[in-house]
Amino acid sequence: MTQLLLFNITNGLIIGAFYVLMALGLSLILNLSNVINFAHGGFLVVGGYIAYTITPYVGFWGALLIAPPLTAAIGLAVERVLIRPLYGRDPLYSLLLTFGLAFIIEDGTRFIWGAQGKPVTIPTFLGQPLSYDFFFITGYRLFMVIVVVITVALLFVLLRYTRLGIRIRAGTLDLETVSALGVNVRMLRSLNFAVGIFLAGLSGVLAAGQLGLEPTMGTGLLMPSFIAIIVGGVGSLPGTLLGGLLIGVASGMTAVFFPAASEAIMYVLMAVVLLIRPRGLLGEEGMLT
Amino acid sequence: MNVLEVHNVTKRFGSLIAVRDVSLSVPKSQLRAIIGPNGAGKTTFFNLISGFSTPTAGSISFDNRDITALPAHQRVALGMARTFQITEIFPELTVFENVRIGIEVASGYHLRPWISRSEKAEVHRRIDDTLKLVALEAKTGRLVGELAHGDQRAAEIAMALSLRPHLLLLDEPTAGMGDQETYEITQLIRRLHRDADLTIVLIEHDMRVVFHLADRISVLDQGKLLAEGTPQEIAANDVVQAAYLGKAA
Amino acid sequence: MTTEHTRKLIALTAIWAALLLAPYWMAPLGGYTALATRVLVLGLAAMSVNFLLGFTGVLSFGHAAYFGLGAYGAGLTLKFLAPSTPLSLLFGMLLGGVAGAILGALIARRRGVYFAMVTIAFGQVFYYIAFQWSSLTGGDDGLRGFSRQPLDLGLVKIDILSNADNFYYFVLLCFALAVGIMGFLLRSPFGRTMIAIRENERRARFLGIPVERHIWIAFTLSCFFMGFAGALYALVNNFADPRGLHYSQSGDFVMMAVMGGMRNFWGPLLGATVFVVLQDYLSSVTVNWMSFVGMLFVLVVLFFPRGLLGFVRRKSDA
Repeated sequence: MTQLLLFNITNGLIIGAFYVLMALGLSLILNLSNVINFAHGGFLVVGGYIAYTITPYVGFWGALLIAPPLTAAIGLAVERVLIRPLYGRDPLYSLLLTFGLAFIIEDGTRFIWGAQGKPVTIPTFLGQPLSYDFFFITGYRLFMVIVVVITVALLFVLLRYTRLGIRIRAGTLDLETVSALGVNVRMLRSLNFAVGIFLAGLSGVLAAGQLGLEPTMGTGLLMPSFIAIIVGGVGSLPGTLLGGLLIGVASGMTAVFFPAASEAIMYVLMAVVLLIRPRGLLGEEGMLT
Repeated sequence: MNVLEVHNVTKRFGSLIAVRDVSLSVPKSQLRAIIGPNGAGKTTFFNLISGFSTPTAGSISFDNRDITALPAHQRVALGMARTFQITEIFPELTVFENVRIGIEVASGYHLRPWISRSEKAEVHRRIDDTLKLVALEAKTGRLVGELAHGDQRAAEIAMALSLRPHLLLLDEPTAGMGDQETYEITQLIRRLHRDADLTIVLIEHDMRVVFHLADRISVLDQGKLLAEGTPQEIAANDVVQAAYLGKAA
Repeated sequence: MTTEHTRKLIALTAIWAALLLAPYWMAPLGGYTALATRVLVLGLAAMSVNFLLGFTGVLSFGHAAYFGLGAYGAGLTLKFLAPSTPLSLLFGMLLGGVAGAILGALIARRRGVYFAMVTIAFGQVFYYIAFQWSSLTGGDDGLRGFSRQPLDLGLVKIDILSNADNFYYFVLLCFALAVGIMGFLLRSPFGRTMIAIRENERRARFLGIPVERHIWIAFTLSCFFMGFAGALYALVNNFADPRGLHYSQSGDFVMMAVMGGMRNFWGPLLGATVFVVLQDYLSSVTVNWMSFVGMLFVLVVLFFPRGLLGFVRRKSDA
């Protein structure tokens, strides 16, 4: 029984790790710029497709290294041209914009790469299960977790120790003061957005190897990211991390006992958290507006 | 009887102590001024009294009733009204409409989908009366956002009055005003104090206004109560004089 | 009567004239009555969203859920309960409204983007349920097997199933009812508090308005209207679609309101007309209509945020 439990918790953590990657990018953008990036799933897809396109030339590892920054660059351009004009306005408008953007990206990828799902090849040594007992931990899934762990660690280092990171964190708390201290807030937002999209692109590359590639895959991953942020607490990146892992574990465990409810459990968790602790598990008071 | 009693109230924001152990008692019909340099905690103090934020320590009572944890809108219902440092009005509604909302809430109509003709007439009458008090009856159809600064302040005071308060909190009513407008607002406040018999607490920087209007003055500095007394006492107080009165006016 | 008053009266008369005579002027323009019926229902939905968005200033982005619930409520009533059109409308409206009341209570304290996020997430719960509970709802295929029933008025039975014009006038009647109540509410003391909250929430609170409670009431009311619109939509199609519950449908409704002009009562109807006609046309000429709709969103947001009726501004009566 305990082995089954351990099984499922581990499985859930693997799922959760992936949600964390997506949700962190979304959370970064939300916290600093007050923008819900509906197009986040779209950028995930773009990242995956870019990786698919360049793999024949640079191989799997090359794609892993190049696709995310490329996606981030696209994100940067989008932010600069489309989103920046909207910062001073009612958040409604940036919502609608990213919303429309999501449509454009989905249709665009369909136009460029076709509506059919694309097969993605991963290095064979990663495709093997690691051991007989833990058959579900294929090399690839473990690899995914490792990538996520490294990325999150790097993100943490970025936010804690670099100038950019410190400014992002300060800006999340009090953008006006940061601006008064002479920081170029517009560039800060752009760079922050780019980091968020980098994470989305990376998620796309990883997801492609696991799930295959098709234009609609991004939208399905947007909701769990939302829920991770709400559960973990708006305005708190550690909260998003916790939220992602929690819903991953909850989902993974439910998949064993009530397979049909494995997605529903995320919503139930969200409802429970909202009832008991409306600001989220690690959310801050006053971050709600 | 004391309309307002504040007992040893402290407000902390993290490690920053905005208001430190301040006490205050305002008897009925008094006009109390709160003065002090920028950052002294005056507006924070007002926020505590009006319910915008809750004190970290201490208690507040209004008409002998403990209101320390009471939400803002319920304090309004008990008879407290305030204005803000930056005028808080409904800029895209007319003067008439701005005042109407307050009167409808004060009459208990705010949840009603419908009011009778006689009720409506009563509301209109009270709007007229309130506008006459602040001398805005000629501008009743104007959009408040288009009015001159002084008139906007008067409109905001009218909104506060529409609630039929017996305690009026005015946060820097003459801020940003020229001499003429300052004079008019000062006269208005004096009229309200005398004719409408309101208890008024006001935050002010303009010392002419303070000495002209106040029955009693409290001085705040760095969150602490520095001194309290009649205008003459405060003017003669060495500590206060050295610190502030030289700077103001 | 002031000039503003007269202007409003003329506009109102023009609108209702156009609506009443729609089956007659649409055909020569290449339209058809069923399209007008669709526009009316979606327009009502957009106006219901705007009740909250444009008039209370609250950013609810998950409102399609209550629309969808209304549709399923109507469909289920007709399929399993009784072959009565009025009853299906009632139940659809109740389902949407009650769900809104419950969920609204959970989130009335939030604001801004966080509020939007939570409304979206909650909306998705219903989408998910509609998909999963396929034994009841038909899952991905949607709810079928019901159709709008003739109206039994005792002396005469009106066929609204096969007669498009009859159905259009029935829907117009329902629309008029809903819109009438909405307008009435907005002009009431309660409606004025909603506008106050939109104009300046802090000031509203300091005038003694219990803001959270009023937002909850406005939210619930708009969900009842949404449920009603959704129920009508199920009747339009004789079909309830799970996609009607998805947040992308919410986005469409919000866009209709923005495009037509959020500050104007009739704006969302105009926005719905343009949106529906445009979408209809685009999906028939190109397979990439989705990118065009997306571009429409982007363009409106960047260049026409006030919407078509946005130029109608209030002026002071001197």
